[in-house]
Amino acid sequence: MNSYSDPPSGTASPITRLVEAFHRLPGIGPKSAQRLAYHVLRAPETEAKDLAEALMEVKRSIVLCERCQDLTSESPCRICLDLSRDRTSICVVEEPLDVRAIERTRGHHGLYHVLHGVISPTDGIGPEDLKIQELLARLRDIDTEVSEVIVATNPNLEGEATSMYLGRLLRPLGIRVTRLARGLPAGADLEYADDVTLGRALEFRQEVQ
Amino acid sequence: MHLAHLSLTNVRTFRKLELDLRPGAHVIAGDNAQGKTNLLESIALLATTRSSRPGPDADLISWDASAEELTPVARLAAEVEARAGEVTLEIAVIGGERPRMDAPLATSRRFRVNGIARRASDLIGQLRVVMFSADDLRIIDGPPANRRRYLDITNAQLDPAYVRASQRYARVLQQRNSLLRRLQERRAKPDELDFWDEELSVAGAVLLAGRARSLQQLGAHAAERYIELTSPEEPLEVCYRPAVPDDVAEAFREHDLAGRFRAALEDGRRDDILRGLTRIGPHRDDVGFLIDGREAAASASRGQQRTAGLALRLAEVALSTERTGEAPVLLLDDILSELDPQRRERVMQAAYGVDQVIITSPDEAHPSQVELPGARRYHLRSGALTLLS
Repeated sequence: MNSYSDPPSGTASPITRLVEAFHRLPGIGPKSAQRLAYHVLRAPETEAKDLAEALMEVKRSIVLCERCQDLTSESPCRICLDLSRDRTSICVVEEPLDVRAIERTRGHHGLYHVLHGVISPTDGIGPEDLKIQELLARLRDIDTEVSEVIVATNPNLEGEATSMYLGRLLRPLGIRVTRLARGLPAGADLEYADDVTLGRALEFRQEVQ
Repeated sequence: MHLAHLSLTNVRTFRKLELDLRPGAHVIAGDNAQGKTNLLESIALLATTRSSRPGPDADLISWDASAEELTPVARLAAEVEARAGEVTLEIAVIGGERPRMDAPLATSRRFRVNGIARRASDLIGQLRVVMFSADDLRIIDGPPANRRRYLDITNAQLDPAYVRASQRYARVLQQRNSLLRRLQERRAKPDELDFWDEELSVAGAVLLAGRARSLQQLGAHAAERYIELTSPEEPLEVCYRPAVPDDVAEAFREHDLAGRFRAALEDGRRDDILRGLTRIGPHRDDVGFLIDGREAAASASRGQQRTAGLALRLAEVALSTERTGEAPVLLLDDILSELDPQRRERVMQAAYGVDQVIITSPDEAHPSQVELPGARRYHLRSGALTLLS
């Protein structure tokens, strides 16, 4: 079996370097890294140039929004500057991709705040490693109109730990802190739902309108 | 309940096995290293999702498949007929890449119940088994972790809430211990423990109460079985030793068990931070086995320990039947040959009380036609089964 750490004769070290660079990316094992590297090697030079430029471009031009901490090419970002948005509510999410997910629902017209992670002591991440101070600063701002913070962390252990931490931190400021409901996915069949989800849907049942 | 069909693809020694099974006794004979234990292990894995032998999941995937295929998959499937109806169970262990060339394959597991993708906790308990093996004495004389593992596997088959609680407990405990180490280094504030204490006590209370309840029943049955197995008669006592303060242990039957456990966790925070680990809770539980009032692990003979292990398995059959109203499937992994006639007789009695028993043996003639009339007999060689009668 071939191994990139033990290159066959004739393979120079630049390719080893590229394979290792791919291997460092999340979700890429040694075999995939090899495939990607040899693909780049065989591809036309323009393709390699595009890739390299795209990589550099993203590092050069993308910054964090000074307000919501989302990724943006200009700070403050478009959502933060949009005067038509509801300035009384902030939706707090774990990652920039979650902003995109919530935007697609068109159900939230307020602002966002991206934590860039969740509390997870095993990964060495505590509250101070998240963008929580930045959130506090926004809420304490003299001009703030925020009356509700919607915590939209994932419904797993670490997401719940983060949401409870935020609840305790923010409630003394006189702000309503809510979190996303948990229950059945839309269009699902009850018989296919797992016990935990179905149990939670029962627990958080609602009046029929 | 009984297994109606077992299907193994690329599981350890089995490249492909399709086996129809009926209620009643099955004897699988074969020389060593032909796959007898692997067959029973596969059935137990479908029941519990836990492997009865140590090692990474990658070892479950047959060597041939691992060597030949880019994405090797070991697939285990069973059709089970129970009083509640028929159910099909499937576990797929999917091999991915090697993180390093000398490391085992990275693997993931997929579970299906009646063809629908489910979590492991939805699969456990659909098929219930009690597996007897020569290693049972390790429960008695091994480290406490063996006894906790035994308790977890036994309880998980009886109570889905126990499975979920133990998965959650393990994750919360890991997070809490990491936070304790951060606190030790003054990189966190003590009130960050609140969430983890609450979660740990809620999940932990389910484990403590479940273990206390089943050990009480197991202890009573094991004591009866042990007396029957020994002469002169000796008493066996099974006692739960939960790793929580007495005031928590006293609340095992009460609703505020979680509350008391949580209070105990809070009381112990300072010491937990000093040590950087959670010192109380079901992850440190133990079970004592006393023969004639003395600790079996320390002072009983090999024979006594073996007999206590056997009594515990027989008790487990009774517990499982009592709790669910339906007998589990018995798996006897080559244990009959080493038992004397009196003990064999007791095991055979248990085998007659269940719908299905699957026995492995190195010798086709044992157990004999006289001992086990009407058994279907197979010969197993290099992962292939031949029906003999």
